[in-house]
Amino acid sequence: MDSNRAEPVKVNSDLAIQTFNLTRIFNGLVAVDGLDLNIKKGELFALLGPNGAGKTTTINMLCCLLKPTGGTATIMGYDINQHPFKVKEVIGVSPQETVISERLNCWENLALIGRIHGMKARELRIRSQQLLEKMGLGDRAKDQVRKFSGGMKRRLNIMMALIHNPEVLFLDEPTLGLDPQARRAIWEYIAWLKREKTILLTTHYMDEADFLADRIGIMDKGKIVALGTSVELKISMLEKHTMIVYAWNLTQRVINEIRSKYDEVEVTDGTMIITDKHLDFKEIVDLLHASGAVVRSAYIKEPTLDDVFLHITGKELRE
Amino acid sequence: MRFLDLANRNFKETYRDPLALGFLLAFPLLFMFIMGVVVGGEATPNFPIGVIDNDHTQVSQAFVDEALAEVPALEVSTYEDAATALKDLKFGDLKAYIVIPDGFGQQVTQNWQGDEADITLQMTYDESDIMISEQIISIINTVTRAFARIEIPVTINATPIHIETEITYIDFIGPGIIVFGILILIPTSARIMVRDKEKGFLARLLTTPTKPVEFILGYSLCLVVIAIAQIIIFMVGAWLLGTDIVGSLWLAFLIFFLAGLSSIGIGMVVASLTKSENQAEPLCWLFSMPLAILSGCWFSIEMLPSYIRGVAYAFPYAHAIDASRGVLIRGVGLEALGTDFLFLIGWAVVIFAIGVILFRRSMRS
Repeated sequence: MDSNRAEPVKVNSDLAIQTFNLTRIFNGLVAVDGLDLNIKKGELFALLGPNGAGKTTTINMLCCLLKPTGGTATIMGYDINQHPFKVKEVIGVSPQETVISERLNCWENLALIGRIHGMKARELRIRSQQLLEKMGLGDRAKDQVRKFSGGMKRRLNIMMALIHNPEVLFLDEPTLGLDPQARRAIWEYIAWLKREKTILLTTHYMDEADFLADRIGIMDKGKIVALGTSVELKISMLEKHTMIVYAWNLTQRVINEIRSKYDEVEVTDGTMIITDKHLDFKEIVDLLHASGAVVRSAYIKEPTLDDVFLHITGKELRE
Repeated sequence: MRFLDLANRNFKETYRDPLALGFLLAFPLLFMFIMGVVVGGEATPNFPIGVIDNDHTQVSQAFVDEALAEVPALEVSTYEDAATALKDLKFGDLKAYIVIPDGFGQQVTQNWQGDEADITLQMTYDESDIMISEQIISIINTVTRAFARIEIPVTINATPIHIETEITYIDFIGPGIIVFGILILIPTSARIMVRDKEKGFLARLLTTPTKPVEFILGYSLCLVVIAIAQIIIFMVGAWLLGTDIVGSLWLAFLIFFLAGLSSIGIGMVVASLTKSENQAEPLCWLFSMPLAILSGCWFSIEMLPSYIRGVAYAFPYAHAIDASRGVLIRGVGLEALGTDFLFLIGWAVVIFAIGVILFRRSMRS
């Protein structure tokens, strides 16, 4: 492994983020293992993986919080090792933990980050107003944020990453620990940002990556194990399809008949799961009806990113 | 100016936190109040003491009738012989008794004429009551020196005195409690800094173009403002509770301020070496409470063994108490504070430098 490459390979101007064999080792434990990643300008890229896969370590290196032990990366053409302060000027970071100043109100929190980035008062006021409206915190803007709900705090957390209008946005687990409704709301805001910014998002929720990302990198044990759009990943990775049938009066005879036609058939308490490369939906339902079973529901299960992850790593993408 | 924005934020985080604010300001004031009301202040302590005049001169007579009898804190009774006085001391009717030895009048007269002469008084006191005996010693000492118009020590205290002063307990305890308040600045400083580290706020701001030195300036500025506010409030509090302020207020303020800088520096060192509030706070208390006792915040440390006093004087707080007592109660000037003052400056500079270096280092990963 070439871990001491100081000179970045030639920088592609279409790319917002490029990593070159990016590596971080903590006391002998390889957290990020020779990552090579290209993220285009305006792209929303999701790093999907279980806890401990190396997603946050990757983000921390890209936003210059953590020095790589090997390799390097460029953000908008600036090398993270050589020009960290240039990098810090063009990025906005929403950390995994909600990090806000609890006894300041929304305006003050936004103003702190804005002023640190050298924003003028007028510009700051207009942009804060705009963000507060868009993110639905306009009514509570003057309240100390320690009184806010988890979802409101996370929205402010993201706004603080956005206030200075950065070109590249890092969102580390933006909806961690939120209820489904609050997550939906944040997804909408993130979707609203698409195309305007280059966004690198980490998540261990497959539906989040599925819903938001242009491209997904599935990460496990410090490496990208699969890369592509959601559809590409599902199609390329899954050769087999699964059909799930809920039915009454299943007889052993019809179960055996279906078993003789398809690779895997599992039956538990009126639920039948059939897996094979090719499934004939009509044939299966007809066979069941002919045998006297009452089919309550039957459907072909769409492959999920969870299935993709399971297929590649042999384990489930659990929270 | 990023550090001004940071300082502003740090300041808001503190003054909008009633608990932290109460702890910083109300806690020492409460102490001052309790000490003032219970032991001193308006209810000036009334110590029954006995006097045995073995000198039998006009001077010694005047010392008993005019000097000692005028001290509000003392209730003087004369005795013919030490044995009777000792009996009353044992029964608790007296807190102490003084024997004016033969030759006292001559020694005092010699001093009045400009020749320095040692003055000796014998005092016997109830050892079990350290606080009270300490005060009596201090009062007798002061009164005697005022009477003999000398600046050389009568018994143990080596600093010059302001002759007109009536030293009450609150006079004595005021500067100590102010320094106690300044010692509380150690956990406060550490908490303000380590909390940002623990909650990831520092890390978040490190993803912005903020330089490490700007963080340090931001914290220091906020803490210095807090220290100044604290000192002013304590000084006003001490004055309201009856501390007579004889010397220069500015000089006293400067002494407290230098001690405050040391506290901020120590807080910064603790914040650099710890990862969370839960680690930093106990460490600070473990350090500052014993130091408050050893430095003499609540009682004089003159009777402590010399090696313990040595420990106390290795830190700036005992110096700050000595120096501020000298200024506030006895009205001494800068020239008389020499070593204490240099020590305070030295400590503030060195600990602040160490704090900055360590905190900078702790920000890198």
